[in-house]
Amino acid sequence: MSNPLADMEKPDVIFCIGTNMTEAHPVAATRLKKALARGAKLIVADPRRIRLAEMADLYLPIRVGSDTALLLGMAHVIVREDLIDREFIATRTEGYERLVDHLQEKTPEWAESISGVPAAAIEKAAILYGSSDKAAIYYTLGITEHICGVENVQSLCNLALLSGNIGREGTGINPMRGQNNIQGAGDSGALPNNYVGFQPVTEPANQAKFERAYGRKIDLEKGITKVTALEQCGDTIHAMLIDGENTVVSDPDQEHCIHALKSLEHFVVIDIFLTETAELADVVLPATSWAETDGHFTNTERRIQRVRKAVEPPGEAKPDWWIIGQLAQRMGMAGFDYDSPVPIFNELCELSPIYYGIDWELADSGQYHWPIPYRGHPGTPRLHENEFINGRGKFSFTEYRDPAETIDDEYPLWLTTGRRLESYHTRTQTGRSAGLNELLPEEMLEVHPADVARFGLRDGGWAKVSSRRGAVEVRVKATRRSPQGTVFASFAFANVPINALTGSGYDPITHTAELKVCPVQVEPVVEEALVAAD
Amino acid sequence: MTKDILMNKTASSSAFSEQRRIQHFKTTRTICGYCGVGCALDLVTRDNRIIAVHPAFDGPANEGALCVKGQFAYDYVHHADRLTYPLVRGADGQLRRATWDAALERAAQGFLDVMQKHGRHAAYGVASGRTPSEANYMMQKFIRVGFGTNYIDNCSRA
Repeated sequence: MSNPLADMEKPDVIFCIGTNMTEAHPVAATRLKKALARGAKLIVADPRRIRLAEMADLYLPIRVGSDTALLLGMAHVIVREDLIDREFIATRTEGYERLVDHLQEKTPEWAESISGVPAAAIEKAAILYGSSDKAAIYYTLGITEHICGVENVQSLCNLALLSGNIGREGTGINPMRGQNNIQGAGDSGALPNNYVGFQPVTEPANQAKFERAYGRKIDLEKGITKVTALEQCGDTIHAMLIDGENTVVSDPDQEHCIHALKSLEHFVVIDIFLTETAELADVVLPATSWAETDGHFTNTERRIQRVRKAVEPPGEAKPDWWIIGQLAQRMGMAGFDYDSPVPIFNELCELSPIYYGIDWELADSGQYHWPIPYRGHPGTPRLHENEFINGRGKFSFTEYRDPAETIDDEYPLWLTTGRRLESYHTRTQTGRSAGLNELLPEEMLEVHPADVARFGLRDGGWAKVSSRRGAVEVRVKATRRSPQGTVFASFAFANVPINALTGSGYDPITHTAELKVCPVQVEPVVEEALVAAD
Repeated sequence: MTKDILMNKTASSSAFSEQRRIQHFKTTRTICGYCGVGCALDLVTRDNRIIAVHPAFDGPANEGALCVKGQFAYDYVHHADRLTYPLVRGADGQLRRATWDAALERAAQGFLDVMQKHGRHAAYGVASGRTPSEANYMMQKFIRVGFGTNYIDNCSRA
């Protein structure tokens, strides 16, 4: 997020797109509710009539995968209505003239023809956002899990740059991170293109720096992404170490994923349960859980916070850092004989330009947002206040692209996937929590009542959902949360593996899977057949 | 940050036995392990078990709020399904209990064998968005020092 969570209470206009915040980030949503109580206006763009949509002053029901068109249409209106921040554009951005040309044809009527959102509503949203001095954008995976995730984000940046709504309190472009330490994972260098602190591996000076630190010259070429690695399993990739990820259930195209992991010569998993992924491993190493661990998480607002051990681990379970350190030493690697997480974190900070100003002791307060470039620096709750990292903010000349697969006669419905309040990811944890299990005992395919009738389904009955990659059986829930023509399910339940269906395409730059769009067909399952099968 | 709380005798009711009243509870300030908001909370523990979660009113991200997962879904920590010892796949294809020594040896040898047979670009590491940064740092260092490659990623793309 460009802005701290506290800023969520400050905007006059909030634009939420592709975020089901009340379910996926409930506590952050309480701050947004405070802003609304104060009188802030809420615009929500989402294919589904989620809770946030019901709270909105203006709801834009977009077709899945049409975000770029909607956002270009909004940018067109902001320029046409002269709602631009001239001073900001002149002093902080580049490419404005070209953007104006680019937007010429991207009228709200054009955007309506793609997104299904009425042109008048697009105009209203643009005027509301563009005329505010304190407008903030919030988004989640509904923006990024598309083949055009990068264009979606760039199109959002255009809106903020045009209206000068960045670098100040109550503004900004704010992606909500989904996992407790997914921000920290990237910060720590667990990326194929960056060392710790987002230092590019392709920069010779960084190669030299890490050769000094690690005692070994590391490739100047970027590594491959996990998506590519899974594609190459059994071909060029023959050994894999996975820590704490239930890849088999969370990743797209389950059949492909299982086949990939099975074709490895050597597969090691570190986890706290024998997940569907761990079941495929040659060696499974038991790790400590969250309550048994000392270390740090970095949250969605880039705040580095201490995690503290409260109970002893069960049996012989060990901290992840210890397990990896032991493995490395047995392979003959030097520099892995740590006796606690303290020197590990201090080494991380020492090598990271964005954590350089802190260490284990200083981080204890939990007050620091990165970047903290030097000792004594107070941290950076708000990014881009006086300048952008690369100088000027660049306008992007994005174009709308269709999703990897579009609906047709054979697969006439859009499936979009997501999260639910009462479960977390693949339920390895929440599925073993008694109360939550009762609140959400099974997966349901959310279908508009008209589609329930159209496809001969029954509310509460069973349906077979098929895509070009696989099929699953799931119970049907008739609901107007889903628009006509679009169905929804979460991927939380391993016994209803929705990701057997997904995996139609990937963003070419980030390799993020298009988990939000998948054409499917649905048909009723004859219930006597189910009973007989039992 | 970890402190012992002796239950206040004046506040205790007859529902508590004398033994209960002098029972030590421990609270530990930590951060919720679910989504990326980073809510601060206090884990209340007794006899090495979590018995409650209290939202931290001075938590900078949450200011006293928690969601249904953060507040209640901690019992998985003590679930009987937890892995409590290493497992190694035997010649018969079954995963079996192993000592740490044997499991680490097998894990290490497997990577060395693959590297010798297929070269250093044949191994890949996937770090976790669920583990602390220290674990992520170790994962990337393991791949970079062990193989000299950047064949490391985390689970943010899917």
